[in-house]
Amino acid sequence: MTASPAGPGSDHPGRPAAIAAVQVTKRFPGVLANDKVDFHVDVGEVHTILGENGAGKSTLAAMLCGLYQPDEGQIFLSGAPVRLRSPREGLAKGIGMVHQHFRLVERFTVAENVVLGDPQQARFIKATEVEARVGEIGERFGLPINPRARIADLTVGQRQRVEIVKMLYRGADVLLLDEPTAVLTPNEVDALFQTVEAMTAEGKAIVFISHKLGEVMAVSDRVTVMRAGAVTGEVATADTSQRHLAELMVGRPVEVETRRGQSPSDVALSVQGLDVVEDGQKVVDGLDLEVRRGEIVGIAGVAGNGQRPLARAIAGMIKPSAGSVSICGKDVTAKGTKAARKAGLAFVPEDRLGTGLVPGLSLTDNMLLTRKRGFFVNRSEARAEVETAIVDYEIKTPSTEAQARLLSGGNSQKVLLARELANLGTPDGPQVVVVSSPTRGLDIGAAEFVRGLLHEARERGAAVLIISEDLEEVRSLSDRMAVLYRGRVAVEGPTDQLSIEQIGLAMAGVAEEGAA
Amino acid sequence: MIPFQFRLERRLDRKWWHSVLTPLLSVLAALAAGAVFLAIEGLNPIRVYLDLFEVSFTDKFGITDSLTVAVPLILTGLAAAVAFRMNLFNIGAEGQLYLGAIFGSWAGLQFADGLPTIVGVGLVLLAGAVGGAFWALPAAFFKAYFGTSEIITTLMLTFIGLFFMRYLIFGSKSFWRDPDSANFPQGKKVPESARFELWGNTRLHWGLIFALAVVVAVWVLIRYTSIGFDMNVVGSSHASAQYAGIPVRRTVMFALLMSGALGGLAGATEVAGRAYALDPNGLQLGLGFTGIVVASLARYNPFAIVLVAVFLGGLRNAGIALQGLPGERVPVEVSLMLQGAILLFAIGGEIFSHNRLSLVRTTKAVAT
Repeated sequence: MTASPAGPGSDHPGRPAAIAAVQVTKRFPGVLANDKVDFHVDVGEVHTILGENGAGKSTLAAMLCGLYQPDEGQIFLSGAPVRLRSPREGLAKGIGMVHQHFRLVERFTVAENVVLGDPQQARFIKATEVEARVGEIGERFGLPINPRARIADLTVGQRQRVEIVKMLYRGADVLLLDEPTAVLTPNEVDALFQTVEAMTAEGKAIVFISHKLGEVMAVSDRVTVMRAGAVTGEVATADTSQRHLAELMVGRPVEVETRRGQSPSDVALSVQGLDVVEDGQKVVDGLDLEVRRGEIVGIAGVAGNGQRPLARAIAGMIKPSAGSVSICGKDVTAKGTKAARKAGLAFVPEDRLGTGLVPGLSLTDNMLLTRKRGFFVNRSEARAEVETAIVDYEIKTPSTEAQARLLSGGNSQKVLLARELANLGTPDGPQVVVVSSPTRGLDIGAAEFVRGLLHEARERGAAVLIISEDLEEVRSLSDRMAVLYRGRVAVEGPTDQLSIEQIGLAMAGVAEEGAA
Repeated sequence: MIPFQFRLERRLDRKWWHSVLTPLLSVLAALAAGAVFLAIEGLNPIRVYLDLFEVSFTDKFGITDSLTVAVPLILTGLAAAVAFRMNLFNIGAEGQLYLGAIFGSWAGLQFADGLPTIVGVGLVLLAGAVGGAFWALPAAFFKAYFGTSEIITTLMLTFIGLFFMRYLIFGSKSFWRDPDSANFPQGKKVPESARFELWGNTRLHWGLIFALAVVVAVWVLIRYTSIGFDMNVVGSSHASAQYAGIPVRRTVMFALLMSGALGGLAGATEVAGRAYALDPNGLQLGLGFTGIVVASLARYNPFAIVLVAVFLGGLRNAGIALQGLPGERVPVEVSLMLQGAILLFAIGGEIFSHNRLSLVRTTKAVAT
């Protein structure tokens, strides 16, 4: 690890960093989001925060711009300690954040959005002056934009320009760009990078937040890599490679006890040539997948690479545009969730409360959600089932009639699994178990419990598919795994035979070069 | 800067009595607010309130008159509750009531003559339900399949329904209009067999029993049937419904049509129990809109709807009765004003039953 300066200093002695975080820690209930993180950007520099989803990038950025206050540690601005109580205060001190989700009023013009909420703005706004300055800023930084255009008429890329102009107009010297390329086309990305160059040339300091290795290498001077809330390395782009960054990003997992399955038998879940199109984008692209009875297959990948549509297409919640899904030999492609269930599917969606469970209904009613119901609803059996589950699964709830919304994440996941895994190992029970993010947000005890259940499902002959962004979880649970990148399987194989480098590069979308 | 500010915090420990206390306190607060206006009018508020209670809830005729007004309010209250609890805001029970009256009186005039009363009245009610559902159909369809706001469509349809009803009696020589009433146009009276029987010498009719039966039926449907279960799921989360394979659109359609049918039943009971004809002026009382107040105060609970409907029915009944009381000249609008105030306070009260209001210091001291 490159030694980072212990103080608010910079790599240039005598010239303090534009902004620095020293030993900052931020805790949320049950999560250590940032653990003694050091980070600094110099004037005229692009410094990237790289990491997987949930690594703590956004939390760090939020502390730098004043959205959160660190629990411990200190933020320094040009060498002086500051306490930023709000993003507004941050902006007043020259720190501007461009969020992934834009904060623009669609009905207002560009110029109106730029001055909206600006505390330095005069009571009476001289529209022509504002428009002239917006135009001037646009020209200087390569952000061509018509100040009189309405936001509603602009493309996503143009809206992002407005956000950047807004920050520059207010005099931001430090700009934080949170995953700015996620919404852009390749051409727009090139334009953005030119703007970034123009800004650093004028002495702005840029914090770039990303998980895309290629872009990080192209745009930044230095990279700070985060994993699980901590900094795993700080390197100059010139001294590193994508492979090295990928390694720092995914890390070497601590060896957890892994229990592999013994002898997988026949194929129970088969996905062939699956295409899913969402909003005109192919989010699942010609995907093939087979899961056998008695094995756990894990799907890894950075969020948004097709995991969600894949799970939903298997479950029959969305219609694929091509390809087929079959469960226990029955073709259930686009036949709806009931058909998939009837063929033997149990599905635990990533959104537990709100999809898997109905927040406003009792646990008893939630137990009935995916069951066959006659004209009249018979609650007595379901109630007994919940009572059993409360004991067996150690679910903490006031009663069987409590609303699902009142349960914690771990307890709602247990209710969901109790329902979906009922009659496991019998012909009436589930034959194929698909679980998205099995332990996300769960405390250690609950997570261990859930993993145990998934092992049990495998031992009892179910075909188990887990889809998770937690790579270590996928590696420790699954017998075979596949990495998704842009809706395709980038790499797959028996978990024990895939190296962490292979997986990291596949997740970052550089598998082809890496494999060559 | 002021060193204190008010802050609302979500209550995590809501007690059951919050949901009883809130409507009661809302009513008291509304009465207090109403007292100010009564005092401005030069009336003694306590005197007026006592009279109000006396005429509506103390003697036999007062009580039966209050219950008579409660009959349509129970049904329009159910109409609102069935939809509102699924976040479907059918505010057009008023229009559905008119259509229920039009369809119901048509069935009564056309078929009921010579039939046994139970069949005749049954036909009026059935036709009324169909009429109400028919009037909710466009709103239901566009809501379910195109996401069009049902608030707008049901409200607009209410006005179309109103003017259509008025046209049938005042604007044309329609089937519904009595050809013998030359001076002031009136609806044709439905035959005896299409009328609810009265209780003794009061104006109360068997429609009350019918409305109570509907309350129980709606409760059973929501609580114990699969379609009711589906409605509960769709009302709480569309994603869950999709996950469980419950047809969201069909369920939304069903709920809105059922809501419309209940509104239509209110119109039909008015025809069979009170007006005996399509009587635009006698039906145009805002019974449908008041149903929204009933449902809200009752927190969409079918049984609470009965209590609230009787209370608001009494208030309405008293408004009319008080005007006629010698000496005091209490304007009839008082009861409507109180009804509006009760709704406002009830909605306001909801905030306090879900949140705790506290006064906090806003000094520079950093939060611990």
